[in-house]
Formats: sequence, C-alpha cells, structure tokens
Amino acid sequence: MSSVTLEGLTKQYQGDVLALDHLSLQIADGEFMCLVGPSGCGKTTALRMICGLEEISAGIVRIGDRIVNDLAARDRDIALVFQSYALYPHMTVFKNMSFGLELRKRPRAEINAAVAEAARMLDLEPLLERKPGQLSGGQRQRVALGRALVRHPSAFLMDEPLSNLDAKLRVQTRAEIARLHRRLGTTMIYVTHDQIEAMTMADRIAVINLGVLEQVGTPRELYEEPRNQFVAGFIGSPAMNFMQLDVADATERSEHMRLLGGGIEMQTDDDQAARLRSSGLKRVLLGVRPEHLALGSTTDYGLVISARVDVVEFLGNGTSIHARAGEEDLLATIDASKPPAVGDAVVLSAPPPHIHLFDPESGLSLDQPSPRPLHTVR
Amino acid sequence: MTGLSLEPELSRAGRIRSRMHISRSALNLALGAVGVLWLVPTISLALISLRPEGLFDQSGWWSVLTAPAQLTLHNYSALFSQGFAAGGLLDSTLTSLVITVPATLLVTALASLAAYSLVFGNWRGRDVAFLATVGLIVVPLQVALIPVVELYRSVGSLTGYNPFGTFIGVIIFHVGFGLPFGIFLMRNFYVGIPRDLVEAARIEGAREWTLFRRVVVPLGLPAAAALAVFQFIWVWNDLLVALIFLGGNPHQTLTLFLFDQTRSLAADYWIISTGAMVSIVIPLGVFFAFQRHFVRGLLAGAVK
Repeated sequence: MSSVTLEGLTKQYQGDVLALDHLSLQIADGEFMCLVGPSGCGKTTALRMICGLEEISAGIVRIGDRIVNDLAARDRDIALVFQSYALYPHMTVFKNMSFGLELRKRPRAEINAAVAEAARMLDLEPLLERKPGQLSGGQRQRVALGRALVRHPSAFLMDEPLSNLDAKLRVQTRAEIARLHRRLGTTMIYVTHDQIEAMTMADRIAVINLGVLEQVGTPRELYEEPRNQFVAGFIGSPAMNFMQLDVADATERSEHMRLLGGGIEMQTDDDQAARLRSSGLKRVLLGVRPEHLALGSTTDYGLVISARVDVVEFLGNGTSIHARAGEEDLLATIDASKPPAVGDAVVLSAPPPHIHLFDPESGLSLDQPSPRPLHTVR
Repeated sequence: MTGLSLEPELSRAGRIRSRMHISRSALNLALGAVGVLWLVPTISLALISLRPEGLFDQSGWWSVLTAPAQLTLHNYSALFSQGFAAGGLLDSTLTSLVITVPATLLVTALASLAAYSLVFGNWRGRDVAFLATVGLIVVPLQVALIPVVELYRSVGSLTGYNPFGTFIGVIIFHVGFGLPFGIFLMRNFYVGIPRDLVEAARIEGAREWTLFRRVVVPLGLPAAAALAVFQFIWVWNDLLVALIFLGGNPHQTLTLFLFDQTRSLAADYWIISTGAMVSIVIPLGVFFAFQRHFVRGLLAGAVK
C-alpha cells in the first residue's frame, strides 16, 4: 500500500493537443480518490499515465516514495480494472486470476491460496473453471476485480468499471467496491464520468474538465462549496439551476443587497453582500440546487422566484417541477403531497446559505476568496 | 386473450413452419446435388485408381457401378512396392512433405511474429512497413525466378553453398513468397484483438515474448490455422518452383512425379490416377485437422 502523488502531470499529443494540463494531486495511502469529469476531459489519460500505459509528456508520477516515470507498467506494482474488463477469453476464470502471479513466478501454493481467497470474497468459487464467454456481465466484472485483487498491489486503479453494467447491478457493485476498499484499505484511484459514483464511493473527488483540475475535495465540500460554475453544475443530481441577475443597489450602504431578474429576487445576507461589494460586479450568476428550492416564500432573506409550472414529474420520493421564470428554466425537487398543477403560478424560495454566487465572466465562485467556509443549514 | 383467439394463431404458426420445412428440404436437396456434382471428378479419379490397368481402354469408370468386382488395390501395391527408391511415388510424397511442412511452419511462425510487431510494437514506420508488405502480395512469382536463381548462385560462390537444386532452396523461395500474404492475414486478425487485453497483460507483468506466446498466439489461432492450411495447399500443389529449383535433384515432389508420367503420345493413367489420389489425401487430412479453426477463422469478426 502506498500513496500516489502527481506533480504537474501533463499529456500533450502531436499537434499541440493538451489532453492533461499540469495535474497535481496527492492521494494519501489508503485513500479512495475519484477522478471525475465529462468524457474527453483527460481523466482516463491521467490514469493511463499512472499505470505506465501512456507516455508522460511532462511532470512526475510518484507511487510511495518512488518516482515511477521511467518504470514499465509491470514494475509499478499497481492493478488496473478496465472498463471492458479485458479478461483473457481463452483462459478459465482461475487462469485469468492466477496469470499475473504466475508471471511473477510465485509458488503454486501461494497462487492457489490467493485465488481462492479472492474467489471467496467475490463469490466466484463456483465459476473458477468457466471461461469469460460463459459469464454474465456482472460476473465478468467480478472476475476483473478478482484479477486485480490477487496480486495485493500497492494501488488499485479503476477505469469506469461499472459503466457496462445495468443500473441495478451498478448500484450493487458500487457498494461492493466500497466494501472491498474498506476491507483491504488499499489506495484506490477510480475514474468515472458519473458524479453519483464519485459522490457515493470516494473519500475525495478530483473534478477535471478540459484537461484542467477544477477542484479537489470531499464529496461534501464539492457539493457545498463548489469553487466554480463547472463544479457546481457537474456535482449534484439533478444539476444546479443557474440564473443571471442584476445587482440592484450596488452602491447603497445597506447591510443586505438585492439581486433582480425577471420574476426572480434575491435578498443577500451580510456575507454575500460584503463579497458582492468587494467584487464590484454589476451582474452576477446565481446558483441554487433543485433540492434546496421549496414551495412558498418561507424566509425574509434569500431567493424568491415567481414562476409558472411547465412540467410536473412524480418520482415517488419527491416531485420534480420544471418551471419558467422570465427567461430562465428552473428545476425544483420538492417533497409535496399536493404538488402544483401544470400552468399554476408558484413561488419558489431558498434561504441564503443555499445560494451560490459566481462571477458570470470567469465562472469563479464569489465565496472562494473568503477564508470562512459558507455555513450551511443542517 | 382467450383460447379461442389463440388456436388460429397456433395453426398459422404451424403452417408457416411446415412451409419453411418444405423450402428447407428443397434447399438441402439442391445443396446435395451441387455437392455430388463437385465430387464426381474426385470420385471418378478414385475409381480409376482402383481399377486394373488393362480395363482403362475397354470401359469407363462408371462400369464399376454394375461390376464392383473389378475393384482392386493392385495399382497401389505396385507403386508402394517400389519403396523409397528415388523418383518413386513414396519418395516423391516424402519429398513433398519435407518441403511443404517446414515452408508452412516457417511462414505461419514468421508471419505471426511480424504481425505482432506491426500491431503491438512501438516503433516508427509500422504503417509504412505494413503497406510495403501488402504491396509485395501482387508481385508475380515468375518475375523472381531468374533473379533468385542468380542470387542463389552468388550466395554459392561467396559461401560455397549454393541452395539451387536443394530442398532448402525451394523452401526459402516458398517462405519468401508466402510471407507477404501471411503477414497481411495475421496483422489484420491481430488488429482486432482488443488493446485492453494486451495492456492488462503488460500491467500484470508480461514481457513481449510472454505476451506473444500466452495471449496473442492463442487468440490468433483461427487465423494461424487458416494461414497454415492455405500455405500448405499452395506449396503442396506447386509445380513451377519445384520444376525450376529442384533441377538436377534425384528426389522430386509429387507434382513433378505426376508431371513425369504424362507423355505426348501415351500416359500411364494408372500411375497418374493412383499418384493423384495420394497427393489429394494428404492436404485433405491437413484441412480436416484444422477445419474447426479454419472455419472459425473465416467467420472471425462476422460473428461475435
């Protein structure tokens, strides 16, 4: 087991395409780190460079205290679970799992014991003599995990291992991987485009977009204190609502400030007013999560939206409302036993702690420069 | 939703099935007829080889159908009784094998190695090398006959060993001309092997040779079997190369042996038919031995 450190990791393809731009990340020993981002953002490239499958254009990869840049993949003591599972079709499940140990010339007894242990952990015992072609998708996935497990590597790397499973199996396997990680305590680097997977499993998440690291933090930090508009929109499901508002009385020396847009009004708290004033912005981008919007005007301060209901979706554990306020389309997830009907005029509101303010030009959060974290209602 | 509406459905399904049955048996019949038509020359050849020499001028092979008693193994025993005397049937069969088997194994092995390097190697100019190899496929063999004879001669004057007239000379020629197509076939098959598999094996600790032997070769078996069958039959049936490059060698290939039996005025048809049967049986055996892989190799990619 060891830590993994990336320092200024860069991948440049021919023709000046920057797939990854100076990624620096410290992954602690035993940590579960998710690299998450939209497809093509460079997260898989980063993983492949850690593995040694992709040449490093610039920067350093350190596993434990060794710099592994010039080590071949086989000498890096890591295991990779592929999205396609990459099981050897001509070998039995047992052979698939023992192959790596055999290549490392381990004694027979040790190999058998390691495979038996992994098979027991993953419920693969009845399948050991089968070939991958005779297995279901979920079983293949477990064999791929088992193959990584038997070698007791110093870090597990996983490249979207769940994306070929159906929704139900995905939830199940997600829990299984989290359980495995807890039990083994091995460093885990997990690449996914699915922020729900990242939120549910990771100790920390690194959000990558267009080859650039946007933010690193615990799932809660990313959810509550997104550093910029991209992270705010990417983390959380359904995605955050954004609306552009005018700063109404920027010069007035009152404690609160008012933001206005068509049918939308925001009365800031002191902190937000201070930050807005120091930013000097005339227009601001406001973000609020659908689950933080409530029906009716509940607070004196905060966001109040007058909107017309467009679509109502009954979800069982809640109701999604698509509503239109001026130019903006909004989504609110409410827990209403009596949901509004389509066409109704409604008032949606959220208190200041749930409101995120961003610079509309740079997309950066206005909360960021402040040393004090945004307090949340809990 | 009731039994009433179900019954007509069932009977209609039954009708469709029986119609399919009829068309299917018609198809089988037609296929059978085509099969017999294709087999007639081979069957007639077999029957001719099993009839006494003297009957050849008197009646056709189909008279066997009414008089099966004329069948005899005499022709075979007459030719086999010569043993391995140079120029005889058994000696020629052995010569053909001694040339064909190494030529086939070498082409399959070398083409697999070259294809591995072209697909999974990491050197510049792989695509150019592959395109150049593909270009060689269209070079007609005849173009190379005289240059290679000259080449062998200069090798002989340099090293004292002239491959011309030796089995090795013939084998080298066949390997040289078998490789471009072999590399083309194997490379195109290897390209279809998922890269992930190779990368997984690399991470698990496989070096190039292990990767080739334990992962790529087993997965490429269908293509290798198809290539081996092609190459075997091609070399086995070759007359031209053997005729030129075995000049002066007392041992001759089966094709040369058969060729020697034809004369302008008369021919020993009993020897030709018997020898031809022997020359058919061996490639047939090779084909059936590899057939399972061969068919899968042809279907590879079509059915996943």
